[in-house]
Amino acid sequence: MVELAPSAPGHRPPPHPDGEPLVELRDLSTGYERTPVLQNVDFTLRRGEFAGVVGPSGSGKTTLLRAIAGQTRRFAGAIEATPRAGERALRLGYVPQVEAINWNFPLTVGQAVLLGRWREMGWRPWPRRHDRELLANILERLGIGHLANRQIRALSGGQQQRTFLARALIGDPDLLLLDEPTSGVDIKTRHEIMHLLGELNRAGTTILMSTHDLNAVATHLPRLVCVGEGALVADGSPEEVLTPEVLRRTYGAEMLVLRRGDAIYVVEHLDDAMTGDAEETPVPVAPVGG
Amino acid sequence: MGDLTEPFQFEFFVRGMVAATLVGLLCGAVGVYVVLRSLAYIGHGLAHSIFGGAVVSFVSGISFYIGATLWGVFTVLLINAAARRRQIGGDAAIGIITTCAFALGVALISRHGQFTRDFDAALFGEILGITSGDLAVIGGVLVLAAAVVFAFWKQLLFTTFDSDVASTYGVPVPWVEALFSLVLAATVIASLQVLGATLIAAALVIPPVTARLLTDSFTRMFTLAALLGGASGLVGVYVSWFIDVSSGATVVLLQGALFALALVWAVARSRWPGSGSGERLAAIEGAAID
Repeated sequence: MVELAPSAPGHRPPPHPDGEPLVELRDLSTGYERTPVLQNVDFTLRRGEFAGVVGPSGSGKTTLLRAIAGQTRRFAGAIEATPRAGERALRLGYVPQVEAINWNFPLTVGQAVLLGRWREMGWRPWPRRHDRELLANILERLGIGHLANRQIRALSGGQQQRTFLARALIGDPDLLLLDEPTSGVDIKTRHEIMHLLGELNRAGTTILMSTHDLNAVATHLPRLVCVGEGALVADGSPEEVLTPEVLRRTYGAEMLVLRRGDAIYVVEHLDDAMTGDAEETPVPVAPVGG
Repeated sequence: MGDLTEPFQFEFFVRGMVAATLVGLLCGAVGVYVVLRSLAYIGHGLAHSIFGGAVVSFVSGISFYIGATLWGVFTVLLINAAARRRQIGGDAAIGIITTCAFALGVALISRHGQFTRDFDAALFGEILGITSGDLAVIGGVLVLAAAVVFAFWKQLLFTTFDSDVASTYGVPVPWVEALFSLVLAATVIASLQVLGATLIAAALVIPPVTARLLTDSFTRMFTLAALLGGASGLVGVYVSWFIDVSSGATVVLLQGALFALALVWAVARSRWPGSGSGERLAAIEGAAID
């Protein structure tokens, strides 16, 4: 680990707010059909938290999200959720990876978003005035109010994410689960999405998201869960979990962690950094984000 | 002029035309879900499998509708169960089960003598042999399908768009899929006499694909597919009287011609940017859109 220089106190909120537990996974082993993907997972998410799941491809990030969404097979252990009063299950807002969405499907933004409210819309196939007002509000809030009649295929990357975020939010969820919301988008869109999620979290939404992006996304989250080879490797604030030791156990690769006070930068290609290539690709030493 | 109204003098012809119109409408509407879920093969397979059921019911002396319904439900459940096993896969499961059921029908026919007119009708359709009982069954299935589509519009749409995510939003996906499979089986059974096992898949696929070329809205695609199916049934049977060609084949050829026209129109329009036709064409081809 390389300590660069001390700096101002951290700007991130504490990783474990004092909210009541929303979801608790206890010694959970879960997966698909006959194959467990995650083993012996203990994990508690509290109301109001904003947590990220990191790990290499195939490590079980999506499985963790899907287990919470009740979409996996449970082999052992327990999942306990605390739904709101009078309801049997948590209300979930799930935002899948954009790659998993069938963009050729004939749907407009409005139609896609209203799917998230299918239960509240009653028996009618068509939305009532109240549903249409809610739709207009949510689209406006996410800055895509003018796109209600646009085909989902004809959207930019950021608009696509906002559309499916709107579908998740229109059902007034207890928990927002996002699978790689920043994958495949440009830097500006990634920044906008993270800014939007931060705002939603400050307004009280509990968020759990998976991400591949250690530096631009994970280091800015209040809490990180590292998943490697089907097990939880570490759980804590980025300061606590982003260490060469944890990253080695998570990714099975040597990584360099640069710190400057509140800022953390993970050098993912250590070989490059340790050889002459590092000069061609300067390692940033100034605080990132902020 | 008298020549043009000549076929209407015959009650069997009018019955056949009404049956073809209703079956076209039914297949067009149900086919929208078949096409959007890329299940065209299941309609084809189911029709062949139910042909086997028709033969079994004839040989065992029970009513075609009772035998075919039991057979159809059995086949659908078997396909669903087999398709859930990842080692087999949906298309292979359909291939194995439906061709075996069809082969059983052919085996029974060869054991019990030659092709009779009944089997000929089940294979190629015999619209002029439609009885008022057949018409009542077609009408009943149309009402059933309309009721299911109306009552479960949102659940069907969500499941068709993305069944994995639909279940995280509380849609009872296995039930919705089972209900749709039963509607599909009922549609195939009701259509067997009109179109024959060999042509049903065309009526399930061509009108929805034609409608998809012409619109990007799910609701419009549904309406258009039903209208195109119904209209081609009506006109196809009427024309078949004068050209002395099998009515089922004429209906399907007419649908094929409408598809070709829509394709030409979409290609022509795609030359004008912003029309959306280029993207729709790509959507039909299943190509990825950037």
